[in-house]
Amino acid sequence: MSMTLFTSTGCLRCKIVKRFMEERGLAYEEKDIKADGREAFQKFYTANRKSVYRGPEGIEFPVFFDGVEIRQGLGAVIAYLHSGKKLDGLVSVGTLHKEWVDGLHVSGGDPAHAQEFLSVLRYLKGNNMKLRVDTNGKNSHILRQVFDEGLASQVVMDVVGPINLYGLILGETVDAHDIKESIALIPRFSEYRFETTVAPLIDQLGKVRYMTPREVAEAARLIEESTGSKKHPYLILSFRPEKAADPLFKALMPITPQELLAYRTAAREYLVFADIEK
Amino acid sequence: MKKVEELSFPDGILYYKEHTWAKKEGGLIRVGITDYAQDQLGDIIFIELPVIGDEFATGNEFGSAESPKTVSSLYMPVGGIIESVNNKLEGSPDLVNSDPYGAGWMIMVKPYDLSKLAGLLSSDGYVSFLKE
Repeated sequence: MSMTLFTSTGCLRCKIVKRFMEERGLAYEEKDIKADGREAFQKFYTANRKSVYRGPEGIEFPVFFDGVEIRQGLGAVIAYLHSGKKLDGLVSVGTLHKEWVDGLHVSGGDPAHAQEFLSVLRYLKGNNMKLRVDTNGKNSHILRQVFDEGLASQVVMDVVGPINLYGLILGETVDAHDIKESIALIPRFSEYRFETTVAPLIDQLGKVRYMTPREVAEAARLIEESTGSKKHPYLILSFRPEKAADPLFKALMPITPQELLAYRTAAREYLVFADIEK
Repeated sequence: MKKVEELSFPDGILYYKEHTWAKKEGGLIRVGITDYAQDQLGDIIFIELPVIGDEFATGNEFGSAESPKTVSSLYMPVGGIIESVNNKLEGSPDLVNSDPYGAGWMIMVKPYDLSKLAGLLSSDGYVSFLKE
């Protein structure tokens, strides 16, 4: 299967991917879209437009194509070259640039591939990239290894809700101990943040509703109790109904910035630096 | 990206504030995007155009132009019915970059009201608008 790498002149991240491929003797064809690869990229894009990811700053490069799979961005391309689809979910296309790599999700994929995930992080860090890792608390053992090896420059933990709603919001069974272990570890990273999205859920009566301010406060309390401190950066985010996969959630009205204030007030009982996204 | 002084805005064409141009050809209007618009976009890799028979009011979006860095909507300078589209742009969207007022034309429109062309800008008027 032939491999094509679409790059852009001067793209540092593209150079790192090329080096990775050359180190492993992977044959590929480079197409620089700002040089002689423009036409080839235009043809590729026309044929695959719906599958090509655009971030806030446009199409993420490098773009890798092996005839079947498309992968974009430094982390996601390296992960695919390293382990094929095994790391899907753990690594996805990121949106950060310059020396930062994101799209690294400790909780996102199959923990059986943890060592391969960590190998990818080591490679990226070894190429002087700063890694932003995110977690929702699952797979604390992987987060522990990320910490022990000093792999992450920044960690963001999505505390999805109070423990009694965690499984309901994620749509899966969770280990409360696992979540609490992750929360306790987070403040040990040099740069970190906790977040909670005011998520919708289907309650036991079958009703679709958003988490209440009291429930978000209980999430904040979970953080306080797991860390022994009220002083952590904590951001409360609005849910984006237009991006929801579930049609029931898509139909919801978004929470207004004014309504978010009640969540902040409630959360500040447990985390004094709680704030809302601007 | 170039300065306005380095870009081309021919006379004999009228310009819309959303960076499309309109040229009267008999009872029809030929429409494309200006040199300013294509310069802002960068290398265009895809153009989405309407189909013949579609109708759009003045100012409505009739399509989009995509480059690696952005996707831009294309807006009708004058309302009307789509008479034809430039199918060459499917395989060669770069024609919009290289020749935005010629081979890079996008649609031919049968306008609802030809007199609405009077509301568009001259070349000088569009340049002044860009410099505001």
